[in-house]
Amino acid sequence: MSSRTVMKVLKALVGLVIFCAAMFPLAWMAIAGFKGKEEVLRSPFQFFPDMWNWDNYRAILNDPAYLHALWLTFVGALIFTVLSLFINSLAAYAFARLDFFGKGLWWVVCIMPMFVPGMAILVTSFVVVAKLGMLNTLAVLIIPGLASSGQMFFLRQFYLNMPMGMEEAALIDGANRWQIFTRIFLPQSKAPFVVMGFGSFLAYWNAYVWPLLTVGDSPGLTQIMVYLGNYRAERGTDWGLLMAGSTIAALPTILLVLIFQRYITTGVRLAGMK
Amino acid sequence: MTITRTTDSATAASSAAAPPATLSRKQRRALSKPPKHLRSNGIAYAMIAPLVILLGIFVIWPLIYAFYLSTYKTYYNKPAEFVGLQFYKFVLTDPDFWASLWVGLKYSLMVVPTVLVLALLLSTFIKTLGKKGAAILKTTVYLPTVVSVVVVALLFVFIYQDTGFANWFVGLFGIDPQAWLNTDASALPSVSVAGIWMGFGISTLILLAGLLDIPESYYESAALEGANWFQRTWYITIPLLKNVFLYLLVTGFTLAMQEYLLPLIMTNGGPVGATTTPNLFIFNQFRDNSAFSFTYSLTAALILFIVIGAVSIVIFKAIKSDKAVDG
Repeated sequence: MSSRTVMKVLKALVGLVIFCAAMFPLAWMAIAGFKGKEEVLRSPFQFFPDMWNWDNYRAILNDPAYLHALWLTFVGALIFTVLSLFINSLAAYAFARLDFFGKGLWWVVCIMPMFVPGMAILVTSFVVVAKLGMLNTLAVLIIPGLASSGQMFFLRQFYLNMPMGMEEAALIDGANRWQIFTRIFLPQSKAPFVVMGFGSFLAYWNAYVWPLLTVGDSPGLTQIMVYLGNYRAERGTDWGLLMAGSTIAALPTILLVLIFQRYITTGVRLAGMK
Repeated sequence: MTITRTTDSATAASSAAAPPATLSRKQRRALSKPPKHLRSNGIAYAMIAPLVILLGIFVIWPLIYAFYLSTYKTYYNKPAEFVGLQFYKFVLTDPDFWASLWVGLKYSLMVVPTVLVLALLLSTFIKTLGKKGAAILKTTVYLPTVVSVVVVALLFVFIYQDTGFANWFVGLFGIDPQAWLNTDASALPSVSVAGIWMGFGISTLILLAGLLDIPESYYESAALEGANWFQRTWYITIPLLKNVFLYLLVTGFTLAMQEYLLPLIMTNGGPVGATTTPNLFIFNQFRDNSAFSFTYSLTAALILFIVIGAVSIVIFKAIKSDKAVDG
């Protein structure tokens, strides 16, 4: 073997090790879902179940409370994603392209929240939504998180770098700002929208503390992560079932990553700016 | 540097458009603005209104309100009483608060350097791969970051069970089974392993983006001079990525200091507070309905916010002033 092939094999091996290290916990979770109650933590240790059976997955998907939490969180995440894209892109366009009275001041007002950690305002946000009568509604899960300084900032940078030409031509032709936004800017925003939309979906889908405090396990509104968090306390430790439920709950975001793989690099830029 | 490129080009564009420096700052600003009749106040306000209103109600007001409430003692049966900065004094003299800060610091020291070293190794490795291999690994390392903290916490609790994977794994090296999450000494390191697993992917990708911005010719000429991998990493990669490193270090520390979901679900802060990070301490105070715990918790959260914020501002200022030299 030449040294080049040796290098190639070596690289493939190292790559495989990294792949396994990153994926093992996830795979382990999915495999545990295929194990029966007795074998999931059996000693001596074994990697694979004696028999691959779908019982846990079938059982958890037949649990109406779990299924409802899954569905409700999914619908909520979609609404949340669409609304947050709308709100943040409007402001991003205004800050990138329009000139208006007090722009600098409004910019500070809109960017400052990026630096406020959630915990500093958790208690008083709770008081605010309680006073607004929003506790135990779907609105309390969706509305408070819609506005995102980080996403607005990210999209504004993108809009700042867009060429002026088309816009100027449209202005001369008598188009107004709204038409320019919807017909020129929105159609060209696919990549940043995918990244921002994924971020919003992820934030909503994975949320735990906020739904726990504001909605908790009030009937019909339990979010999927709150359901999973409560599961251990409420039903003891049937690890096979719990891991099956966790695997299914982790799937949507994983699938989204696989679908939108080619946007990861852009997404990293968003993460890098926050 | 990918991360700052967007801001760089923005400042470059504005400085290119700027008129000669002989004008005062005010004059220059007036020139760069379009004339009054081109302003679009109406539509602009309509477009930023939703964002401003939502941020106002759900971020800015709660923040102001938190500072306001932190100076009051609240009672169930009588009106609140102004106590000035008394609660700040309570928090700052409470050994439990300091203990949680210490736990947070230890957690950060375990997670952040490990993540940075892993990210450096992985990103330099991924860079050497072909297109296909790099794409696969990029997706792979990204996946742990998109899984919910709740799922990760449950998964690692499962791994740390007495007859679970962790004990089988150390058994391979002849180590006796451990009570990972129930022992003082091992609880925090065990939690931080989950934190490392969640954090290494995104750091790797951010570093990789920075690496790809370093001109290949630097490495080629170094290789010609006979520099080996370590020398190339030490003399080229690390100095040129200094800003990315500092960025990852600062954001990593601020995020790690604020971590509380992992210990909340994995150990609920135990055993005996060994994994009670600052935010978990604050969160538990909030949930604990004893007298004044409400004001206490929000005061502690504000103190943490001020401290972490001040430290990051100082470091980021240092980075920024550095950039001019760095090019």
